[in-house]
Amino acid sequence: MTDTTPDRPQRRPRQEQITPDTAGEKAIGPYPPTEEMLAEPVPEELRRAQENRLREVWKEPQGWRYISAVNNSEVGKWYSLTAFGFMLLAGVLALVMRVQLAVPGAEVLDADRYNQFFTMHGSAMMFLFAVPMFEAISILILPAFLGARDMPFPRLSAYGFWCFVIGGVFVMGSLLFDAAPSSGWFMYPPLSTKQGGIGADIWLLGLSFIEVASIAAAVELIVGVLKCRPPGMRVNLMPLYAWYVLVVGGMILFAFPPLIAGDLLFELERGFDWPFFDPDRGGDPMLWQHLFWIFGHPEVYIIFLPSIAIAAMVVPTAARRPIVGYSWIVLSAVGTGFLSFGLWVHHMFATGLPSISLGFFSAASEAVVIPTGIQLFAFVATLMVGKVRMNLPMLWIAGALAIFTAGGLTGIMVALAPFDWQVHDTYFIVAHLHYTLFGGMVLPVIGGVYYFYPFFTKKKMSDRLGRWSFWLTFTGFNITFLPMHLTGLYGMPRRVYTYPGGLGWEPLNMLSTLGAFVLAAGILVFAWDLLRPKGRQPLTERNPWGGGTLEWSHEVPEEKWGVRSIPHITSRYPLWDQPKLVERMDAGRYYLPDSDEGHRETLVTSVIDARPLQILRVTGPAWITMWAAAFTGGAFIFPTFSMYTPAIVCAAFAIVCVCYWLWTSTALIPARERKDAGLGLSLPTYVAGPQAVGWWGMWITMLGDATAFASLVFGVFFYWTAGSDFPPENALHADWRYVLLACALMLTAWAGMLLGRTRNRKGESGAAPILIGAALAAACGIAALIAAVIEMSPTSHVYPAMMCALVVWCVAHIGGGIIMLAYCAAALIFGRATPTHDAPLWNVSLYWHFMAAMVVTVTLCLAILPRLV
Amino acid sequence: MAEKGQLSREFAEEQSSLWRIAFAPTVWAVHFVACYATAAVACAKFPEAELAHVGVWRVAISAGTLVALALIAWIGWRAWRHWDYLDDHDYSHGRDDNESRHEFLGHAGFLLAVVSFIGVLATWLPAFLIEGCT
Repeated sequence: MTDTTPDRPQRRPRQEQITPDTAGEKAIGPYPPTEEMLAEPVPEELRRAQENRLREVWKEPQGWRYISAVNNSEVGKWYSLTAFGFMLLAGVLALVMRVQLAVPGAEVLDADRYNQFFTMHGSAMMFLFAVPMFEAISILILPAFLGARDMPFPRLSAYGFWCFVIGGVFVMGSLLFDAAPSSGWFMYPPLSTKQGGIGADIWLLGLSFIEVASIAAAVELIVGVLKCRPPGMRVNLMPLYAWYVLVVGGMILFAFPPLIAGDLLFELERGFDWPFFDPDRGGDPMLWQHLFWIFGHPEVYIIFLPSIAIAAMVVPTAARRPIVGYSWIVLSAVGTGFLSFGLWVHHMFATGLPSISLGFFSAASEAVVIPTGIQLFAFVATLMVGKVRMNLPMLWIAGALAIFTAGGLTGIMVALAPFDWQVHDTYFIVAHLHYTLFGGMVLPVIGGVYYFYPFFTKKKMSDRLGRWSFWLTFTGFNITFLPMHLTGLYGMPRRVYTYPGGLGWEPLNMLSTLGAFVLAAGILVFAWDLLRPKGRQPLTERNPWGGGTLEWSHEVPEEKWGVRSIPHITSRYPLWDQPKLVERMDAGRYYLPDSDEGHRETLVTSVIDARPLQILRVTGPAWITMWAAAFTGGAFIFPTFSMYTPAIVCAAFAIVCVCYWLWTSTALIPARERKDAGLGLSLPTYVAGPQAVGWWGMWITMLGDATAFASLVFGVFFYWTAGSDFPPENALHADWRYVLLACALMLTAWAGMLLGRTRNRKGESGAAPILIGAALAAACGIAALIAAVIEMSPTSHVYPAMMCALVVWCVAHIGGGIIMLAYCAAALIFGRATPTHDAPLWNVSLYWHFMAAMVVTVTLCLAILPRLV
Repeated sequence: MAEKGQLSREFAEEQSSLWRIAFAPTVWAVHFVACYATAAVACAKFPEAELAHVGVWRVAISAGTLVALALIAWIGWRAWRHWDYLDDHDYSHGRDDNESRHEFLGHAGFLLAVVSFIGVLATWLPAFLIEGCT
């Protein structure tokens, strides 16, 4: 089965032969495999032996040690169940709020507790459910789509998960102590900066901590999609889910860091009285709104795209034909990814910005409809030309499309500034956002759970319960939220804990409350179906829906190795188009059928054409990730209570844990330089530099880090444009001599890093002392930078505060750079890195490239630009 | 043989880049930020400006829009050449060969150029229609 392509003669792929003397880090042997090679049977005895070895290597730890597992199938399961648990808790908060609002003047909740509840409902649904759910499901199913054994950095996923659990429990737990944040999920200052108590700090630090976990997952998923595809899965053959994950991962890198930068400024104001958002001292609360919504609006699409990606997998299976308009859906995903960043001010239409600025954002808000709509049309077209089997997952997807379309239509309405002024902060907005989020996230995800459940657990969920759940959820949802449009148009504001009678709001509110319970019943039926014991139920067949993508080659009963052998892919729907594929995968006919050294391994391929490049050893079960997460948690949680010494101690221990983890398990020098990957292909086992997954991980992390730094620099320019006293007249500037000295010292460190790496590569001695020298230069640079601003008083005005914030950022990062230099020097001294095995040096060089750019920018902002204006 | 060599070079992996499909939306993003920044600085620093003054930055935004549109059109034209639709009328690119991958990236790049073009025009409209800051 192929897409509607006109018939044309098939070009045979040319086989390339590379000889050992030109090899280096290249692959040696025939690729792609021929039909004759694939047809050759695997001897039964060999097959058994290979299976036993693989099973042994991929075995999960037993008993209480089970929680040290890092395999994507385990971590993904825990991750999604935890996120689902937080969703149920946040749903309970919503139900209590609906009870409070059922009749005018009710006293179920007092005003403060109501504020805590709506703040936590929004925050938990966004930060503890919607975004983590994307990461969880992707960690769970992405390797299966890609025929990979695991993600490239399993321990990073586990670390992200444990950070998420600690942060989530901390933030949700605050409700029990009546100490939860209560100024809205967007934490607008000045309300939240002036507020007493620790609620706002819990929000800021707890959720920053979770954002770190999100960025970790984004790094993992992007590298997974780019480098861990099966041989032959070129970019034009990737499952659409992988395209969406790539786009969403990229969006996380550009959307979350501005919020992290904002959180830093916010916490500096709350903890140390630096006046970033205090207008009396030159600050401006609008900066927070900008930084929050630069995150907040793309966030909506970060939630929506992966869920619609699930629809892109369910629809072709239901229609029993390939997706129509593959390129159009890719356009749609990438286009939405970009345009969604041009919408943030549409949350700020009522703040008094110049109308021309509002116009730009209104225009972009309308333009984003084009790519968003295209993918929906592609789904409808696929269903129209296919032979549709209306299975249960498809029912959920169909309901989702209907609800999302309604939400999209009100979205077009509120994107128009004059209309938005009328309904701003009313229940109309509540209705709109729930229509987009239920249609764009909740329903497709539940549909996806029904669809993938046989893959997750090798059992099926109940079709009957599923239909009950759907119709209860669907009707309950509409009964709850459809009347809210009218409630809003009648003028009922959001976020009020009660309202007077006689305004015509009573029947609508009562209806919404009744609907909310029907909706909750639907979700509970789903939860029961999901969690009920299925011990006596028979196992599912292997491909219950008749899907065409690789995840349905999974083994029943379950095997932990992911795939028995990594196939060579020549189609978008290999299970439909490549006969004998599953049989040959099972037989171990394809790549990596064995684990002769007893290591967990997966295949790394090239970005565009997925040519095999490397056999990557991946990490196994570990406790160190949990320790690292616990100490990272301490570093974020102690400052909530203004306990800074324990926080610093925790941060130091977290760094030690991460160094231990890297030292003992990453970029290990392999016993054999090359290994047989199967089908006559010999691949290197150690790769350093731009082809290595570690280098890609660093590059993607630093892209996110650079975005956070850019947000701080944006802050500098924002204050300059927004106020007339930035910098104030006769202000004390940073001492330019010290700044230039710091800049020179830090650039010396950067040059030292590069020199050390080059000398080591050439096999010349002295690399380690050069790296140590570079670290010392950087340390002196830190001292110089602090000396430059030591006279400034950051509490007096936002100008010195902003300059000091840049210095804080720079010092923390150069500090990290010093640790990395020391790590590399130690690796050279103790033989963990050699002239031919220098991956850590490449990765740290990359980090220092970013540092060099940062140092130059900080120098400009600190020493030069303020003297020019 | 020479032709075949040329063909395999033209479609070789090194000739393709995932970045390229993001070029046109990147132009949109730069244009968008530039328009926003121009208007924000103009309105914040010269709020009482004469209408003539307002005219200056509106002309500047329009000029920038023309540059952005020209760039996107050029990117779109190159992507159209990559796609090479009129050669074989292939728009699904589901085959396992270099040409299919090459044309797919061209196709996606072309579609993104079209969306970016419309996006830039939409961004320009407020500067065209709205005369002042308030």
